[in-house]
Amino acid sequence: MSRRRNTQSREERWRGRAVSEGVVVGRVLRVFSGARQVYRATLDEADIERETRRFRAAIRLARRQLLAVKARAEKKLGAEHAYIFDAHLLMLEDRKLLGDVETFIREERCNAEWAVKVAADRLLAVYEEIKDDYLRERGSDIEDVTQRILVALGGGRPHLRQLTEDAVIVAEDLLPSAVAELDIEHARAIATDAGGWTSHTAIIARGLGIPAVVGLRDLHRRARTGDRIVVDAQQGVVILHPSQATVEQYKSITSSEAVTAPFPVGQGVRVGPARTLDGKEITLRANVELPAEYEDVRRFGAHGIGLYRSEFLLSHRGAMPSEEEQLKAYEEVAELAGEDGANIRLFDLGGEKFGAATGDGERNPALGLRAIRFSLRQEDVLRTQARAILRAAARGRLDIVLPMISDLTDVRRARRIINEERARLEQEGKTVGPVGIGAMIEVPSAVMSADKVAREVDFFSLGTNDLVQYLLAVDRANEEVADWFRSLHPAVLQSIERTLDAARKAFIPAVVCGEMAGTPAYAVILVGLGATQLSMAAASIPRVRRVVEGIKFADAQQIARECLECEAADDVEEMVRVRFAELWPHLFPPKSLPAPRVGE
Amino acid sequence: MVERWVTITNRLGLHARAAALLVRTASAYQSALRLEREDRTASADAKSILSVLMLSAARGTKLLATAEGADEAEAMAALCGLFASGFGEKES
Repeated sequence: MSRRRNTQSREERWRGRAVSEGVVVGRVLRVFSGARQVYRATLDEADIERETRRFRAAIRLARRQLLAVKARAEKKLGAEHAYIFDAHLLMLEDRKLLGDVETFIREERCNAEWAVKVAADRLLAVYEEIKDDYLRERGSDIEDVTQRILVALGGGRPHLRQLTEDAVIVAEDLLPSAVAELDIEHARAIATDAGGWTSHTAIIARGLGIPAVVGLRDLHRRARTGDRIVVDAQQGVVILHPSQATVEQYKSITSSEAVTAPFPVGQGVRVGPARTLDGKEITLRANVELPAEYEDVRRFGAHGIGLYRSEFLLSHRGAMPSEEEQLKAYEEVAELAGEDGANIRLFDLGGEKFGAATGDGERNPALGLRAIRFSLRQEDVLRTQARAILRAAARGRLDIVLPMISDLTDVRRARRIINEERARLEQEGKTVGPVGIGAMIEVPSAVMSADKVAREVDFFSLGTNDLVQYLLAVDRANEEVADWFRSLHPAVLQSIERTLDAARKAFIPAVVCGEMAGTPAYAVILVGLGATQLSMAAASIPRVRRVVEGIKFADAQQIARECLECEAADDVEEMVRVRFAELWPHLFPPKSLPAPRVGE
Repeated sequence: MVERWVTITNRLGLHARAAALLVRTASAYQSALRLEREDRTASADAKSILSVLMLSAARGTKLLATAEGADEAEAMAALCGLFASGFGEKES
C-alpha cells in the first residue's frame, strides 16, 4: 500500500446510499470499530511486577476516559442511553476480569495485552453459549471494554476526539460509543461501509444536518486518514483522491447555496409558514428524536414538532421507561413545541427491541409484531405511554400518532385504551390535557381505506419511508435492493395523493413526515400533490423553505399531475429532471435532482 | 452466614441495568455475596457484573442468595430489597 501513497493516487468512486443531504469536500478521518491486533510477548520474571502495575494504570486511564464518555453521552443522548456505560464501568472494575488478567500475566509471564485478550476471549466463549439473546449480545459490551483497555495499554488516548475543520468521518460502521466519544458536532460529513436509511449513522447525520453516504462496502479499508475525499449526498457518491478538476467542480456546487450543508444560520431565523409565489401556505415542522436536536427546532424556525419518535426513549435493548420517566421527556417536548404542538408517535418498534421478554426471533420483523401491534399486545406498554402523554399534555399541545395502522380496528382499540387511561387519571385526580389521535398512514391497506380511517381520527401522518418500503416490497435497510427503493415510483405518488385527498375530504390535517419531505426536490412534488404540512429534520427546513418560497404552487401542481401520469419510476425521475431544470434552474442545480440511472 | 431465596420479578430479568444496580449495591458491603440458580447450573459473585450477567437470569428465575461476613444481615436486606422492588422497573 505504501506505493500508492507515494505516487499520485488515482481518483476512485464509490456508489452508496445517501441518507442525508449536502456535498462536502474534505479530508478523511478514519475511525476504527474493529478489533486490534494483539501479539504475545514473554516477560522476564523481574518484569512481571511492572507489567501488573502497567495494567492497573491502564485500567485507571480507561476508567477516567469512560467516565468522560458517559458524561458526554448523557448530555448528547440523554440519561436513559448512558446507563450502558455504567455497565461498562463495572466491567472495567470487575474482580473476575481483573483477577483473571493478573493471574495470567503472572503465571504465563506474558504481556498485559495478551492476557487481556485471552481473558476476554474466554469470557466471550462463555457468553456465546448463553441461550438468552439479550444477554448473549452483552458479549459486544465485553469487546468494547476490552478494546478500551487495549487502547489504554497502548499509551492511550482514544484515537478520535478533536477533529480538524474539514474532517470527514470514514468508518466501517458508527457505533453509539464511538459517536459519544467523537467530537461529532464538528464533523463535516460521514461515510460508512455498512448501514441503511434507518441506521444509527443516518439518524445522527440527519440530526446534525451533515451529508452522509452509507453502504460503501470497502471504503474504510481503502481510505487513509488525511486523504482528500468528496462526499456527495445528493447523488450518493463518494470520491477518494478526487482529481483537481473534480474538486473544482464540487467547490462550485458547494458554493451554490441550494446544496451547501450545513445551511448557514443567521440572526433572522424565518418562522411561520412558507408561502409560494402564488400565495399557497405550507407549514414546515420538525422531526425529532435525539435531545441533541431540540435546539435545532427553534434555531431553524420549525412550526412545532410534526413527528416525535418516542422509541428513542427506549435504550438499546434496555428496559421500558417508567411513566414518570416518559412524563418528564414528553413535558420537555411539550414545552419545546409550545403552541405549535407536537405529534408524539407511539413506540414504533418490534419485540426485538425489548430483549428477552418477547424476542422469539421473527423471520420477517418488518411485517411482524411491531409498532401499534406490539403496543396492543403488550397493553401495559401502551397504557403507560398513553398516561404519560395525557399528563404531559397539560403542559402544552400534544397529539398521539398511532404507527403502522393497517385496519380501523387498530385505531378503535388504541382509542379505547387511551380513553380508559384518561378516565383513570381523572379519577386519580391527576391533571390531563386534551390529546388528539392521528393515524400513521404507511401500510398500503391504510392507503386503500384512507377515506374510512379519516372519519375516525383527528389527523393523518404520512410516513413516506415505510410507505415506500411496504408498497414496493423493498427492505429499506438491504443494500442489495436499494435500487428498487424508489420514492418517486408512480404508485407511491398515487398513494400519497389518495391519502391527502381523503384527509381533505374529511376536513382533517395531514402532515407528511418521511425523508421525502426534507428533500427539496421531493418536497416540491409533495406540495404539488396537495401536502400543506411537511415535517423533516429541523436542519432541512431552511433549504425546503427556500424552494417552496421560490416556486408557484400552480407549477408544482402541474408537474405533480404529469408525474402521476408516468408509467415507471425512471420516467418520473426524468420528468422531474427536465421540468425542474426548465422552470427553476436557480433553485435546483443538476446535482440536487435525482441522478439518471443509465450507465451505472 | 445467611441464606434467602429471591425471585426475579422485573420484565427483562438481570439485564445490564439491573445487574449494574445489583453489583453497585453488593459492592457497598464487606460481606461475600453469592447468587446461585435454583437449578444449580450457575452461581455468581454478586460483586462481579460479568459473573452476574452469566447467571442469565430471566424473569421468574429463583436464586439462592448467600451472604457471609461482618455486615451479612444488612447486605442481605439490601439485596432482597432490590429484588422485591423489581429493580425499580415494576410498572412496565
